[in-house]
Amino acid sequence: MTLSPRVLLRRGFLALIALFLAAPLIVVISVSFNATRRMSFPPTEFSLRWYRTFFSDYGWMASLERSLTIAGLAALVSVAVALPITYALWRYQAKAAAVLAGVGGALFLIPGVVAALMLSAFWGVTGHVGRLENVVLSHAIVLLGIPLSLLMVGFRTIDQAQVEAAYTMGARDSDAFRMVVRPAMTPYILCAFVFVFVLSINEYLIAYMVAGFTVQTLPIRIFANMRQGYEPTMCVAAVIFMVMGFSAFALMSKVADLPRLMGRTRPLED
Amino acid sequence: MTAAGVSIASTASGHGRMRDRWVLAGLLTGPGLYIAIMAIVPAFLMVQLSLAHREVGGLWSPGFELTQYRQLATPLFARIMGFSLLLALTGAAICVSLAFPAAYFITRMRRRAQVAWLVFLLGSLSLSEVLIVFAFQVLLSTSGTLASALNAVGLLAPGASLYPNFPAVLTCLVYLLLPYVILFFYPALSQLDPEMEQAAATMGASRVSTFVKVVLPMMRGQILTGVLLVVIFTFGAYLTPLVLGRPPQWTIAIHINNAAMGAGNLPLAAAYAVAVVAFMVALLALTRILSQRKAVEA
Repeated sequence: MTLSPRVLLRRGFLALIALFLAAPLIVVISVSFNATRRMSFPPTEFSLRWYRTFFSDYGWMASLERSLTIAGLAALVSVAVALPITYALWRYQAKAAAVLAGVGGALFLIPGVVAALMLSAFWGVTGHVGRLENVVLSHAIVLLGIPLSLLMVGFRTIDQAQVEAAYTMGARDSDAFRMVVRPAMTPYILCAFVFVFVLSINEYLIAYMVAGFTVQTLPIRIFANMRQGYEPTMCVAAVIFMVMGFSAFALMSKVADLPRLMGRTRPLED
Repeated sequence: MTAAGVSIASTASGHGRMRDRWVLAGLLTGPGLYIAIMAIVPAFLMVQLSLAHREVGGLWSPGFELTQYRQLATPLFARIMGFSLLLALTGAAICVSLAFPAAYFITRMRRRAQVAWLVFLLGSLSLSEVLIVFAFQVLLSTSGTLASALNAVGLLAPGASLYPNFPAVLTCLVYLLLPYVILFFYPALSQLDPEMEQAAATMGASRVSTFVKVVLPMMRGQILTGVLLVVIFTFGAYLTPLVLGRPPQWTIAIHINNAAMGAGNLPLAAAYAVAVVAFMVALLALTRILSQRKAVEA
């Protein structure tokens, strides 16, 4: 099979993009398996030494656990807030719901440092400082734009005719919800949860400005270590992030129609 | 009889509307309270803070003074904003010119390849800025691969470092933003009708000229919004310029953070932040006007 120069050019361009995006990750992954304490690439000797150190270190494990807790709760809160809003928008075309969706999604669109400052000032005034729940509630509001838009995409895929048919046959709201809405929305709810979870676990600045001195999440800990110089366990922490992120989205592509979720409405053949 | 039927129907629907209202109230009260407390109150608080009186020791008392806003009229602030904008627009030019064709090609792939790209892009987009900055530090450090490779071919003096400097900050920002911008263009480009391009092709237009004359003009609004997205993100970026840049390359985000956390001058940080938001709103209005005018011209 011969390829035309145009196809070759296109593939070359995409390959370069992929390489650019993968290069730093490849370096960190290979350095994490290095046997020496020095940061050297390519690695000289394969070893799992730093993985053992990481998983037996109390501080790293505590940070990992804290980050997982925050991300899980933040995802739960933001999906729980977005779901009634998007449902009210879809079922009743309620103006109030549209306003809430607009305001709720807005924080996602302002520069991160401004959102972080606003929220840190807010927690400062309430006098409730340095607590884990501050990070949870702050992440949930800043990332609210994600479940809002994903769930709206989800509701749009529900066939209105099917719902109308259910109502004409005497179904009540709760029946329609159980038979039509819930099965159609489950994958979207899952995806919204996973998306917020992954972004929350990776978020640094808001967590730091809201409670960074007392609640040390994984990114905060990595950054604190970075300032003190290189430590091979940091690479292990980094690899954990990558594994979590990529597997979460790979999983998502199994439960849901990812192209559609990312905004494609034109049908796509296999 | 008909009158009775109508009146029954109308009371039934009136009753239904009442019930709908209760259901809506039940649905929206909780989310409404949460959004009011966590989004609207902090926004007002920040404006109030920017007008407050600064006390010693990182404290402040409510007031109405323009002390902090006067600091915005200094050459220092103008220089910081100017640099942030320069960095943002350079990054935007690079990101958009790479992301647009990339997204275009991806939307034309078969499903499996498209899903694989989406997973890859979402995965790299979600990676922590801390992590990316750290990875770049490893990549660019004097003992790292890139430096030794450049050393070997004589492009870099031994012992010289590839960071901190402007190109390092720029490259890392492009890295962070590229997946976002590709995914931002994805929906609009995947909605393009392939038949339209085929029609252009049958009329004798080459693929490149179809792309330039048909696809690009249709996407003007999207491209401008993509640029705005990069600008917003760059103004908010904190770790990248901090770690990979020197103080002259510090963006407004670092100065906001330093004022708030370092100097304990929350009112100044708030005034900076208000100025940044005002600037973003102005840019948003500008992109709206530009995309509308160009749409009319086209």
